[in-house]
Amino acid sequence: MPLDTSAYSLALLRVDGRRWNELRRIHAQIRTQAAADGSSYLEMGHTKVMCVVNGPSEPGPRRGGVGGTSAAGSGGGGGQSKDAEVAVSVVVAGFSSVDRKRRGKNDKRILELQSTISSALGASLHTHLFPHSTISISLHVLSLDGSLLAALINAATLACVDAGIPMTDYVAACTAGSTSTYAANDESADPLLDLNHQEEQELPGLTVATLGDSDRVAVLVCESRVQVGRLEGMLAVGVDGCKQVRGIIDRVVRDKGRRMLQEGTVEKGVGLEDMDLD
Amino acid sequence: MPITILAPKPTRQAHSHNGHNDDDAMSDSGSDSSGAGGDDDLDEMVSAAAAAGLKSQRDSKYEIVTPGEVITDDPQWMRGHGTYVNPATSAIISSVAGTVSRTNKLLSVRPLRARYTPEVGDLVVGRIVEVQAKRWRVDVGATQLASLPLSAINLPGGILRKRTETDELQIRTFFAEGDLLIAEVQQLFQDGGAVLHTRSLKYGKLRNGVFVAVSGMGGGGGVVRSRRQVWTMDAANGGGQIDVVLGVNGFVWISKHVETPEGLVEKAATTGITNLEESVSATMYSSQNDRIEVDTMREIARLRGVVIALVENGLRVDEDMLIRGYHEAVEMAMVSADGLDDLYLGGEKGEQLAAVLTGI
Amino acid sequence: MPREAEPSLNERQFVLQALQENLRLDSREADRYRPLEVTFGDEYGVAKVSLGKTRVLAKASAEVTVPYADRPLDGVFQIATELSPMASPSFEVNRPTETEVLLSRLLEKTVRRSGALDTESLCLVAGQKCWSVRVDVHVLSHDGNVIDASCFAVVAALRHFRKPDTSIEGGILTVYTPAEREPVPLGWLHSPFCVTWSYFGEEGEMALLDATRAEEQVRVGSCTISLNRHGEICQIAKLGGTPVEAVILLQCTAIALTKVKEFSAYLDKKLAEDIKRRDAGGRSAELTAENDR
Repeated sequence: MPLDTSAYSLALLRVDGRRWNELRRIHAQIRTQAAADGSSYLEMGHTKVMCVVNGPSEPGPRRGGVGGTSAAGSGGGGGQSKDAEVAVSVVVAGFSSVDRKRRGKNDKRILELQSTISSALGASLHTHLFPHSTISISLHVLSLDGSLLAALINAATLACVDAGIPMTDYVAACTAGSTSTYAANDESADPLLDLNHQEEQELPGLTVATLGDSDRVAVLVCESRVQVGRLEGMLAVGVDGCKQVRGIIDRVVRDKGRRMLQEGTVEKGVGLEDMDLD
Repeated sequence: MPITILAPKPTRQAHSHNGHNDDDAMSDSGSDSSGAGGDDDLDEMVSAAAAAGLKSQRDSKYEIVTPGEVITDDPQWMRGHGTYVNPATSAIISSVAGTVSRTNKLLSVRPLRARYTPEVGDLVVGRIVEVQAKRWRVDVGATQLASLPLSAINLPGGILRKRTETDELQIRTFFAEGDLLIAEVQQLFQDGGAVLHTRSLKYGKLRNGVFVAVSGMGGGGGVVRSRRQVWTMDAANGGGQIDVVLGVNGFVWISKHVETPEGLVEKAATTGITNLEESVSATMYSSQNDRIEVDTMREIARLRGVVIALVENGLRVDEDMLIRGYHEAVEMAMVSADGLDDLYLGGEKGEQLAAVLTGI
Repeated sequence: MPREAEPSLNERQFVLQALQENLRLDSREADRYRPLEVTFGDEYGVAKVSLGKTRVLAKASAEVTVPYADRPLDGVFQIATELSPMASPSFEVNRPTETEVLLSRLLEKTVRRSGALDTESLCLVAGQKCWSVRVDVHVLSHDGNVIDASCFAVVAALRHFRKPDTSIEGGILTVYTPAEREPVPLGWLHSPFCVTWSYFGEEGEMALLDATRAEEQVRVGSCTISLNRHGEICQIAKLGGTPVEAVILLQCTAIALTKVKEFSAYLDKKLAEDIKRRDAGGRSAELTAENDR
């Protein structure tokens, strides 16, 4: 179904009634699953993702391996690296989009998503604190309406925060696009923030993930043809969007923390004000 | 385990800001549609949100720090766990979501929830996951497997015997994969891995009961380090005596009370030392449960229900709470329709129990 | 599973320290490629690309098949990548490593999804017969930057390729052998090329082009930008790794564009030379003579 973009120039409203710089509604929750070390649920518009983090923990004995022969000392079985490994698995539910297509586990697109998320979070998580262990992140996509990679990254970040894994800062992601097609070189084309599925199909767009409040880009994925001149505008809007997303997911964590403090499940910390130096 | 996803509700703060921004955008949308003007809008909104966030944080005592938040840029503080230092600015920045704590000049952040971090002297309940030539690898819920060397267990046939090659060959007769045990953390490796020992008659293989895992240290309830982690209590309704072990790592073991080897030691004083050795070696590494009466089983199951209810309602699991919770649960069962067989403590009943416990 | 030998801590430090001093192990400047060379085989559609010690072979081929039911007017176009133990002992047969998956995805996005090949021109009889074009990419030797070399090889092979000429008369499809009719080139729309940046340093502040194997092992992140000479981005992939300032990424894109223009000019020149070489052999002249008869 072609997307009618001609109306945009008249009202400056997108198909779902948003302006160019508006995010869709983001609803997020942490600690949704009692059994996991960390878990989260995230909605970006109609894209809904669930995430569970287990670990860091050391994997048990390797199947088929000979029982460790080393007598003493740390290590022995398990992964031998000095840093924790970040293992990501993404499952896209068959009912998540309109066409009920089953995607195999070895779909290259899924493998690429997994490797991207693992590498993006691995750069922010302090993996050097957990030698020989594995942080396993499993993501389930329940509903799909564009900005998939961004939603997955945000959900994974939230779940890692919930699991109490030390990290440099949040990795927050969102998408940005442009109202012009690749061929048209019209200078008046507006950049767009947070594309939905329809826009993603029809317009050039990219996914950006940044580290915290900085302008440092952890992930930049563009899969459509676009004039090189468009990039700067799209990137700027995307980076700004990431900061907004960071603010929103940070508030989710803070709300949860405040509630836990009020319920008394966690001891109160010392305020910075009462930290007078003697 | 249940998955809880609440119905989406408007986030208060977010909405007020967005609404405000929308108004702004509406009012000047006629004149301002260029990219540059819009950019300013966006910046304004972001900075407004940031400022508001900062303010509310100062207002409330119930605020936590989140990853990436600067705790202080005063260079005289030292960084502890849960923080890192930006080499450029030497500011101390939080790396987890949690509450700030300080010890003299050491600043650290306690995460709201994290895996168990072993400390020397901790009493833990663990599960054997791997048997190696001269040691076991034990899952204690930490980031790494703990190890239990063959030399750190009580060998049968004499408490202070040197281990021999025969012991190495029959290592599986002491502990095999999947066995549960209670042990103490003896030392820590540089990288945080723990070494356990069971060189006391209090420690060793666990039998005659059930295992419950609650989330470890910190938030959401759980086991806290306390004076007494192991105790024997009298069960109601003819359940006899029940042993409870609260591992510091959040693993709990509830079992029927059996004469401890210590008890045997007292007896041994009268009956003679050979007898003791025999009875110790017979029971210490046995994988057979003793006969357990139905009444005892029912009360063990009830205690397990109390532990789970405490965790689900975000309460601490310690001796006082558990005993009070248990008595309350017995009372609740008395008045219920099914009588004593009513073991269910989930959902509303769990909340009711928690309310009674916190109400006092 | 044989694992790639990790460089030791000291090796790592040496390479990084040298880079801090603006020195690369092969004394190249940060934005210089190693000597890029492409040679074409005797057959149409075979291109061998060497970039320093990295060597990649691509072979394009075509056969007539039935189009996919959901796209009756399009031909079939596939890119198959092969990273065999020949390139490096860490690659295994029949078990795609992460490198291979990412490589094939990148080629797919750069060449196929950007519409470089006009797949509609591959259609012979709507819904019944079409050409299936397939490019096999074999990495012969892996000394870093396989992506750029592979992409160049794929584009070179496809542009060099000639498919047999066909005609339809009265519903009968005839495919001519090269002896009967001179084969025809594919419908080609634009030539995208990949440029891969590698980032080094704590905050990814150092950017290098065309990293060697040793440099790839110590880098903290990479970004592959695919462009064509008209300044259209076909794909950007910075798949995680240490975060890099947005401004640096924009600068990298600008430099990448100049590199792509160089690649494009070089490939055009090489293709022209090859045509001339074939002409000099007199083969097409011979064919023309035959047709005249």
